Amino acid sequence: MKTAGRILGTAFFREGYEVQDAPRYGAERRGAPIFAFVRADKNPILERGIIRRPDLAVVADDTLAPMPSAGVLAGMDGHSLMLINSHETAETWRGRLALPGRVLVLPASAEVEVEGRAALPQVGAACAGAAARLVGVIGPDALAAAIRDELGHLGEGVVADNLGVASHAYDLLAAEAGAVTERPPQAADAWQSPDWIDLPFEGAGISAPAIHAGLTSELMQTGLWRTMRPVIDPERCNHCWWVCSTFCPDSAISVDGKGNPHIDYDHCKGCLVCLAQCPPHAIRAVPEQREQGRE
Amino acid sequence: MSETRFTNVKQLPSVHLLGSGSPMCAGCGGLEALHQVYDILGTNTVFVNAAGCMTLLAVYPFTPFRGSWLYTAMASAPAGAQGIRDALDVLKERRGLPPEEDMQVVVLTGDGSAYGMGLSATSGAIERGLDFLYLCYDNEGYGNTGQQSSAATPHGARTATDLTGIGFHGEKKPLFDIWAAHRPPYVATVIGSEPLDLARKIEKAKAIKGPRLIIALSPCPTGWGFDPQESVAIGKLAVNTGVWPLKEYVDGKVVHTKIPRRRVPVASYLEAQGRFAHLFKPERNEAVLAEIQARVDGYWAGVEEVVAPPTPTLPQGGRG
Repeated sequence: MKTAGRILGTAFFREGYEVQDAPRYGAERRGAPIFAFVRADKNPILERGIIRRPDLAVVADDTLAPMPSAGVLAGMDGHSLMLINSHETAETWRGRLALPGRVLVLPASAEVEVEGRAALPQVGAACAGAAARLVGVIGPDALAAAIRDELGHLGEGVVADNLGVASHAYDLLAAEAGAVTERPPQAADAWQSPDWIDLPFEGAGISAPAIHAGLTSELMQTGLWRTMRPVIDPERCNHCWWVCSTFCPDSAISVDGKGNPHIDYDHCKGCLVCLAQCPPHAIRAVPEQREQGRE
Repeated sequence: MSETRFTNVKQLPSVHLLGSGSPMCAGCGGLEALHQVYDILGTNTVFVNAAGCMTLLAVYPFTPFRGSWLYTAMASAPAGAQGIRDALDVLKERRGLPPEEDMQVVVLTGDGSAYGMGLSATSGAIERGLDFLYLCYDNEGYGNTGQQSSAATPHGARTATDLTGIGFHGEKKPLFDIWAAHRPPYVATVIGSEPLDLARKIEKAKAIKGPRLIIALSPCPTGWGFDPQESVAIGKLAVNTGVWPLKEYVDGKVVHTKIPRRRVPVASYLEAQGRFAHLFKPERNEAVLAEIQARVDGYWAGVEEVVAPPTPTLPQGGRG
C-alpha cells in the first residue's frame, strides 16, 4: 500500500497538483497492516499529519475491514467513498460495515489458484489504478508515468506487470470517473479535538510501562498478516517429531496428545516454513482471501 | 559433558513456552531460535534485551514471555544482567529466596549490539565471571532499521549501506573467537534449523555457572531477501555449505558438533538470497564467489588440522 500511495501521489503530481504522500506503520514488521495517506490540492497544502476525514478510502485487503485494530473505517462519513478489493458485493460491505457513504468493489483478486506468494495479484497497482480513475483528474499517461517513476528501478518486467494490472483497474472503473469529490472546507467552529488521552505526570511506580502478566502478546491477532494460509491434510500427516511445530517461529502450531498438529489461525502469520519443511508434504497453501470468502 | 536428555529429535519439546502474537516478521529465523531456546531454559528465565529487532517482542502492554523482561540501551545489556544477577543473589542470601525460584539471567541482543557496541560491556561481564547466558540472534546487519551493515555482515552482501559494487567489503567479525579468547566456561554457535544441536547446547549451557555465550545465526527474510518459507532451508544450507560452523568452546577446547560430510558449494547458499543476487546476475562474479568459497574451505582445512592432534587444555577463565 505504501507503493500504491506513492504511485497515486506521483500521478497527482504529474497532473500539476501539490501532493503529500506518506505511509504509516506501527512497530510491527512486514506483513502487518499498514496505511498510506495521499493528499492532493491545486493550492499549497498547509495541513500535516494523518488524514482524519478521507474523501476516498481504498482497502486492499477486505479481511481487514471488520477489524477495529486495523482502523480502516476511521473518519468515514457520508462524503467518503470506500473502494474495497473483494469478491463480495458492494451492498454486502455497505450493510456489513453500516457505511453512510458509497461503496465500490474492486474485483482485483478473483478466485485464482496461485503457485505461491510471489504469484499473488499486484493488488497495490490495482488500487492505485482504480483510485486514479475515481478521483477523475488523473489521465492514463500520468498514471503510467507514475508507475515508471516508482517501480522503474525494479526492472521492465515488474513495470510491465504493474502497468497491466493498474490499467485494467483504471479501465474497469471508467464509469465511476470523478466519483470522488473534494469535501467542502471545514468551518473553524466544526473543529473537533483529537481523541487522544492526556497522561498526567505520575510517580514512576504508576507510570512506568510495567507488564504484570505473561503471554499477553496472544491478544494480538497476527493471523491478520497472512496472505497465504497453510492447511494440514490430516490423512497425509505422518505424526513425525513435530517438525512443523518446532520450526514455526511464532509458536502457532501445537501438537495434541495423539501427535496431531493444529495451526492457530489467529496467530499464524503465513510464513509457510511449515509447508516448506513438512517431511510428507502434508501441508498446502491456499490464498487467505479466498479461504475467508468461503467461510 | 556428553550426557544429554536430547539424543533424538523425538525428545524435543512439543509444547512451547514462547507466546504467539509477537510483532516479529513472518519467517523470522531469530524468533525461531529464541522459541526453541526458551523451551529448554524454562519459565524461570529473565531476559535482558538490548535495542534491536527483539525490542519489539515486549511492546507495552504485550509480551510473549511468561516471566520478566528488561529493556536496556544497545551497548549495556550485560550491565543490566549484572544488576539483575546481583539482585537475585541478594534475595537468595538475605531474603531466603528458595533455589527453585532462582532465575537464569539471559542477555538477548542482535548482532549490532553483540558484535559491535555491546562488545565492551560483554567483555567486562565475562571478565567479572558474571553468571549469565548471552543469546545473540545474528542476522548479519542492523535489521531493525532496514538492514544496514554491521560488524557481522558477511563479505559480498548488499545492505542498505552497501548498495553498490560487490556490497560489503569487510569480513564478518569472528565473535565466537573473540568471546572464546576470554576463556569463559562456554561459547557455542547454534541455528534454529538444527533444533537438536541447539537443544543439546542450551541444555549444557543451562547447567554451567558463569558466562555462557551463544550465537544463533538467524536467517532474515526481510534483510537477506528471500521468501519467508525458505527460512529453515536457508539455515540448513548455511550449515551444509560450511558457512555457519556449529561448534562449542568448552573446557578450553573448540569442538565442532556437526561437520558437514560433503560440503555443498557456497554458491547454492548465496544464490538463494537477494542480498547476494548481484554475484549471479547479470553474470556470475566468479572472482568473488571463489574468494568466499576459498575462505570457507580454508576455515575447514584449519578445523581438520586442529582436530587431528589433541589440543592442550587451556586454564579456565576467572569466575566470580
